[in-house]
Amino acid sequence: MFRFPNLAWPKRILMALALAVLLASSGLIAKPKPAGHYGYGKAATAAEIAGWDIDIRPDGRGLPDASGSVEDGEMLYEDQCAACHGSFGEGVGRYPVLAGGEGTLTEARPEKTVGSFWAHTSTLFDYIRRAMPFTQPSSLSAEDTYAITAYVLYLNDLVEDDFVLSKETFAEVAKLPNHGNFTPDPRPDVDAKRCMKNCKDPASVRITSEPTILAEEVAEDTPVKAASPQEQGAEVYNGACAVCHNQGVAGAPKLGDKADWEKRLSAGEETLIKHAIEGFQGQSGFMPAKGGRMDLSDTAVAEAVKFMLAESIN
Amino acid sequence: MRQKKVEELDKLVSSIATAGDKLPTVERRQFLSQGLSMLGGAAAMVAGGTALAATTSKYAPPNVPPWTKTLGQGVIADPYGVPSPFESNVVRRNVPWLTADRIASISFTPLADLKGIITPSGLVFERYHAGRPEIDPDEHHLMIHGMVDRPIILTMDDLMKFPSTSMIRFLECPANGGMEWRGAQMTKLQFTHGMLSCCEWTGVLLSTILAEVGVNKGASWILAEGADGALMSRSIPMEKALDDALIVYAQNGEALRREQGYPIRLINPGWEGNTCIKWLRRLEIGDSPYYQREETSKYTDLMPDGTAREFTFVQESNSVVTTPSPENPLKGKGKYWLEGLAWSGRGKIKAVDVSLDGGINWRPARLTGMIEPRALTRFGMEWDWDGSPALIQSRSIDETGYVQPTYTQLRAVRGSSSIYHKNAIHTWRLHADGSVTNVQIS
Repeated sequence: MFRFPNLAWPKRILMALALAVLLASSGLIAKPKPAGHYGYGKAATAAEIAGWDIDIRPDGRGLPDASGSVEDGEMLYEDQCAACHGSFGEGVGRYPVLAGGEGTLTEARPEKTVGSFWAHTSTLFDYIRRAMPFTQPSSLSAEDTYAITAYVLYLNDLVEDDFVLSKETFAEVAKLPNHGNFTPDPRPDVDAKRCMKNCKDPASVRITSEPTILAEEVAEDTPVKAASPQEQGAEVYNGACAVCHNQGVAGAPKLGDKADWEKRLSAGEETLIKHAIEGFQGQSGFMPAKGGRMDLSDTAVAEAVKFMLAESIN
Repeated sequence: MRQKKVEELDKLVSSIATAGDKLPTVERRQFLSQGLSMLGGAAAMVAGGTALAATTSKYAPPNVPPWTKTLGQGVIADPYGVPSPFESNVVRRNVPWLTADRIASISFTPLADLKGIITPSGLVFERYHAGRPEIDPDEHHLMIHGMVDRPIILTMDDLMKFPSTSMIRFLECPANGGMEWRGAQMTKLQFTHGMLSCCEWTGVLLSTILAEVGVNKGASWILAEGADGALMSRSIPMEKALDDALIVYAQNGEALRREQGYPIRLINPGWEGNTCIKWLRRLEIGDSPYYQREETSKYTDLMPDGTAREFTFVQESNSVVTTPSPENPLKGKGKYWLEGLAWSGRGKIKAVDVSLDGGINWRPARLTGMIEPRALTRFGMEWDWDGSPALIQSRSIDETGYVQPTYTQLRAVRGSSSIYHKNAIHTWRLHADGSVTNVQIS
């Protein structure tokens, strides 16, 4: 049955609330953020947010207090970026081309680079900071990120060689040349009809393309369970080591570079394997322990080293 | 040599131009099924009009195979079950020349071997930008901040206390089939359409989390960011976040797979797979898009005039025949169940038509099984193949009335340099010997 509630409690609650509002508005106590409906989790502090809030927006919001010059950027770029992107931003193998390509967007093979296609410098800074260098992401300082960003702009002839990029000078280069050439999604943009009978002239039906012989020759990978140690070595190499050792990123000895591998082998195969497992600071570069792939077993790393030796020296 | 090939093609085309008329009609199917029910089971053996293939197996009746005469493996022989070794060919594969390495790369779902609409978790295509991280869920956090009343940090335990919801939705890379924009290039279904999967996803609606933190007035975009080495990130409009975006922790009934973002990922149903950030660690609520690399330099659609479309989120309606296909050739003339998959990022599939003559004549296929919005939808059709060459196509129509376009129609508007969002009608060329190859036709 319905009962009248006891009025005593609501009155007390109302009084308490009124007092809380009074105190909050008077600034006597910190303004409490009312909890959400569920109240799960913990409130994020400013310091916690700052540690993860790394994005940079087109207007420069989010840029750290630092600066970096084209001059400093050149050295950093050569050291950390050129192995994949090329000394002039031309790209190595299938790694992205960073410079050039102006005027190619309407051609059959458009080259979409920072200078020819990108819209915002914030994107460049943000991406370098979040994901580069490829093999050691989140390792660059704010100064280094400014410097490399400045150098990539320089490679695209967008700044002079004495340019220094900072929070203050960012506005001068915030908009890249292709800015303004992006449009909203107009789809659906094709109005096809559902015709059922005699929809086209049979004589007009022609085969216009088929996979070429060339495409057939390029093998599609069929992963197989590695049976022999050699196969396991190759598998580990392809899945983990190739990123650096194919191109010679960060001073890594390139697969097939006989002279380089022979030089290193003079220390003995066991030492080489030990360095690969434990990590090693060499003269030409730094080998992180297991190439940063700590999920790999010692045996797997050893087989990969043996595979690289066999492929390079024999 | 070249001339001979052209003549051959012309001959093929003229022979299939009339093939559409020879198809068994719906009326004939009805007649057959009525006849079957009258004649009973015995008649069914020969109703197909072709003799049943003689089996060459030494274990065919009346013989008894050895596995019937011994005991098999006991329980928990495989504590986590794995497919039969006879299915070892059904695996994800990659195309080495597509990407510089396997760390920032993609693998393809073996669509030709799958049935129904659910992709087994271990066969869902992979796409990594910095490899697959190994994350301890007890050490993973989701931070929500920006234009909100209460910025919070959630543990995975926290997240699982929110009301949970499940939905079956497809996941497709916007570059699916992108290698075919300029012409037929890939030799198998796995590679022409395999950046596509469909799972039951379970998690918390993003709208629930947004209500919990209290979104400020004027907020219109959300940056979603992963915890992988690429800190992979995309901007999501508030409308989608409040519609059906889901923070997912389970897939096909079990914890999300590592390849799919364990312990949590975002799923934006019907939208570019790229927006469905994996290993989700951060959601920042803001008042404008963040213009991340993956929504400017990449995942924008270059048009013939040199402009590019940005924020092209929806995966428009698409379809493909999975049998026959290069992986599923036909073994001689006779009756077959032609089947395939259709999907639309805008909602449910309304109909699928099939053509066997390169798009001259079409007839509706049957939609089989579940029809869920923004999910793979299976279609099929009985077909009595007379052994002559055919150009097999499927065409989907979604609930908005959108009709899947031809390559000619698509290229007329978008050219062939846009890389993404290729959803043109696909053609399989069925040869007289039953083999199937990928072609494009005018």
